[in-house]
Amino acid sequence: MDHALTLQGVTKRFGSFTAVSDLSLQVPKGCIYGFLGQNGAGKTTTIRMVMSIFHQDSGTISVLGHSDASEVKDRLGYLPEEKGLYKKMKTAEIVAYFGKLKGMDRATANDKAKELLQRYGLGDWLDKKCEAMSKGMGQKVQILGTIVHDPDLVILDEPFSGLDPVNRDVMRDTILQMKREGRTVIFSTHVMEQAEQLCDEMMMIHKGRLAFAGTIAEIKAGRDHGIQIEYDGDGRVLRQLPGLDPTRLNDNNKSAELFLKEGEDPQEALRWLVDHLTIRRFDIREPSLHEVFVRTVAEKDAELAAAGRSR
Amino acid sequence: MANKILLVAQREYLENIRTKTFWLGILAFPAIFAIAIGVGWIMEKTKKTQVYTVADFTTNHLGAEVEAAARAGILLDILQGEAERQLPEDHPAVQQLQNIEPGMVEAGLKLMPEDVRAQLEQRLAQRKEKYRFDDLTRLGLADLPREELITRLNAMAKDGRLFGYFVFENDPVAELKGSISFVSENTNDNDLRDWYGRAATRVVQKKRIAAAGIDAKVARYIREPVVFPAEQPGEGADRKTVERADRARNLAPVAFVYLLWMAIFGAAQMLLTNTVEEKSNRIIEVLLSSCSPGELMAGKIWGIGATGLTMVVSWAVVGVIGMSLGAQVLPIIGELDLLGIARDPLYLASFIGYFLTGYLLFAAVLVAIGSVCNSLKEAQNLVQPVFLLLMVPLFAMFPIVQEPNGLMARVFTYIPLYTPFAMMNRASGPPPAWEYAATTVLILFSVWFAFKAAGKIFRVGVLMTGNPPKLKEILGWLKES
Repeated sequence: MDHALTLQGVTKRFGSFTAVSDLSLQVPKGCIYGFLGQNGAGKTTTIRMVMSIFHQDSGTISVLGHSDASEVKDRLGYLPEEKGLYKKMKTAEIVAYFGKLKGMDRATANDKAKELLQRYGLGDWLDKKCEAMSKGMGQKVQILGTIVHDPDLVILDEPFSGLDPVNRDVMRDTILQMKREGRTVIFSTHVMEQAEQLCDEMMMIHKGRLAFAGTIAEIKAGRDHGIQIEYDGDGRVLRQLPGLDPTRLNDNNKSAELFLKEGEDPQEALRWLVDHLTIRRFDIREPSLHEVFVRTVAEKDAELAAAGRSR
Repeated sequence: MANKILLVAQREYLENIRTKTFWLGILAFPAIFAIAIGVGWIMEKTKKTQVYTVADFTTNHLGAEVEAAARAGILLDILQGEAERQLPEDHPAVQQLQNIEPGMVEAGLKLMPEDVRAQLEQRLAQRKEKYRFDDLTRLGLADLPREELITRLNAMAKDGRLFGYFVFENDPVAELKGSISFVSENTNDNDLRDWYGRAATRVVQKKRIAAAGIDAKVARYIREPVVFPAEQPGEGADRKTVERADRARNLAPVAFVYLLWMAIFGAAQMLLTNTVEEKSNRIIEVLLSSCSPGELMAGKIWGIGATGLTMVVSWAVVGVIGMSLGAQVLPIIGELDLLGIARDPLYLASFIGYFLTGYLLFAAVLVAIGSVCNSLKEAQNLVQPVFLLLMVPLFAMFPIVQEPNGLMARVFTYIPLYTPFAMMNRASGPPPAWEYAATTVLILFSVWFAFKAAGKIFRVGVLMTGNPPKLKEILGWLKES
C-alpha cells in the first residue's frame, strides 16, 4: 500500500448540480500533490469528501488505507480555504485545542503548541489573544493548528492566498519540511507557478471531472512546444506576428508565451520579433503549466459543448 | 467520541465564563431587581408631605369633625397596618381591629397614663407625615368671605402651597351630592382624597346612625364585613388554615417559571449568536475536520447549557444571600419561608430537570436556525417566530398557576415546546404521578427527535454560504437519511 489517498469513481451531487463526477486518482505517499482547477471546479468539494465532511454519493475513497476517513481523522491535518480563529482565545490555547481535538492528551498538546509557536517566531504571542494578531500571524497560527498533531496526510486548501512574499516563503518551507519528514501534502491552488515549483504530482479538475493527473513531465509530455520570450517594447504588436495561433498568446507585458500554427517556422518568427521588439530572451520549450491549464480549460469546454450538442 | 464532545463543550463553557461581560450580565439581573425595589421604596420615602386645608361652610362644623376623625384614623391605620404585618390574617385581633372606630381610639387614648400617651404622641410626631392639615388661620385666610376664600385657596392649590383643599357645604349628612368636593391640581394621586373619604364616611355614618336612633352596637353588627377565612382540605375531616407561607408556596411556580424562562431564553440566545459567529468566521470547517457535525453540535449545546446553568445557580446564590439579608430587615421575608420552598426537592428537581429538557429542545431549534444563517441579522429575522413562541409560557403563567390542573394547564402540558414550563407551572397542584411519567416520556422523545432533525440541518447548513435555504430545501435535508 503506497498511496496516501485513492479515489475511485467518486461522484457528489448537490440537488441537480453535479459538483464532482466520476473522479478517480491516486496520491502517492510522501509526495507533494497539487489540486488544480478553476474556482468552482470541484476542488474544495473533493477535499471535503476526503476529510469526510461530505459523503460521496457513489464511488470509494480510501484515506491512509482506510475506506472511511473518519477512522483516520486524527492522522489528517486540514487547512480550509477560508480560515478562522477564535478571536478571544490565546494563540497557545487554540493551537493546543486543535491538537486535543485530534486526540492528543492535554499536556502533550500544550507543550507542542508552545514549541511550534516558538519555532515559527511567535514565542512572544503565546499568551496574546488571536484578535490582537495581524492577518499573516493569524494564518501562521492556523497552519500550526493544522500540523500540531503530526499528521500523516496534510491537506491545504489555497494555502498561499492572502499571504505576503515573506509568509509565502514560510508556507513553502513548511510544506517542504513536511515532505522531508515523510508526510504527504496535498494543496490546492490557482497559482500555476507555485504548483510547478512545489508539486511532485498534480491533478486538474474541470467542472467536476478529472482533466489530467500525473507528474509535471507526464502532464507536459506530448504537448507542442511553445516560444517563450522576454522583451521590451509595445507588446500589442505580438498579435500581428505572422503564423501566430491567435488563441494561444499569453502576454505578460515584459514576457510572453506564444504558439505558432502547425508548420510555421520559429526562425521566421524570431526574425520578425527582433524587427518589432527588443528581444532579451528567446526559448523554444515545453509549454508552461499555465498554458497547459488554460489550454485544458478551452479543450474541455469545447468537448463538453460538443457532447451537449450531440445529445 | 464523547471525549470530543466534552472538549468542544469545555471550550464553549470556558470562553463564556471567562469574560467579564458574562459575570456583569449575571449580576445585572438581581441588581436591576434590587434597584426596582429600592427605587419604589425611595419614592415612597421621599414623597412630599401633602398639605391640605378644609373650607367648612356647614353650620354644624362637620369639616372640623371629619378632620378630628381623620387624625384619630391615622393612629387606627397604624394599629391595623401593624397588626396585618405582624399577625396572621385570621388572628382574632386583626378582625377586632377592623371593627374599632376612631372614636374608640380617642377614648382609649384618654384612658392611657399620661407618660405613655406622651410617648405615643412623640412617636407619632417623629413619623414622617404623609398628609398635613393647615387650618385657615395658619394660612392667613381666617374670616374671609366665601368668594374671596375660594379664590385665594385656588391660587394656593395652583402655586403648590396646598396639595388641595376639601370643601364642605350645606348638610352632607342629609345629602352628600353637591355638598362636598376636593379641589386639587393633581388629579392622579388619589391617596389623600381616598383617606379623607374614609374618615368622612365614618363621621357621616355615625351621625346618620344616631339620627335614625339605631344603637351603636347594632350598627356595628350590621356593618360587619363578610370575609371568608381561606382553608385547605386536610387529612380525613380536618381542614387546615392557609398561612401566608402557603400562599407563597402556591405562587412559587410563577417565580420558578419566570426564572426558567430567563435561563432558557438567555442560554438559547447565547447558542444562536455563538453558532452564527462561528459559522461566519469560518472556523467551523477546521472543527469539522476533527470531529463530526453531531459531536460539534452536541458539544456546543452542552457547553452553553452548562453556561446557562452557571447563570441560574449564580442567581440562586445571589437570591439566597439577598433573602437572608432581607429577612433581617423585613421579617415577612423569613416568615414566607422562601428558602424552604427553594429547597423543596419537588421544585428543585423539577427546575433542574425542566431547565435541561426545555433548554435542549429550544437549543436544537436555534442551533439549526443558526447553522443556516450567515449573519446575525439574518438569524434575528428567522428566529423571531421562535421567540414569539417562547413568549407564550410567560402569558400563560398566571392562568395556569390559578388552575394548575385545569384544561389550559393540561393542554399546554402536552405541547412539547411548553411541557417544561407548564409542568413547572403546575407544581403547586401538583399534577398526578402519571402525568409526570407521561410528560417525561414526551419531552425526552421530543428532545431526541429535535436533536436528530437539528443534526441533519446543522450538518448541511453549517457549511453553506450565500442565501439561507428555503423551507422546502430544509425539509428535503430532513428526509435524507
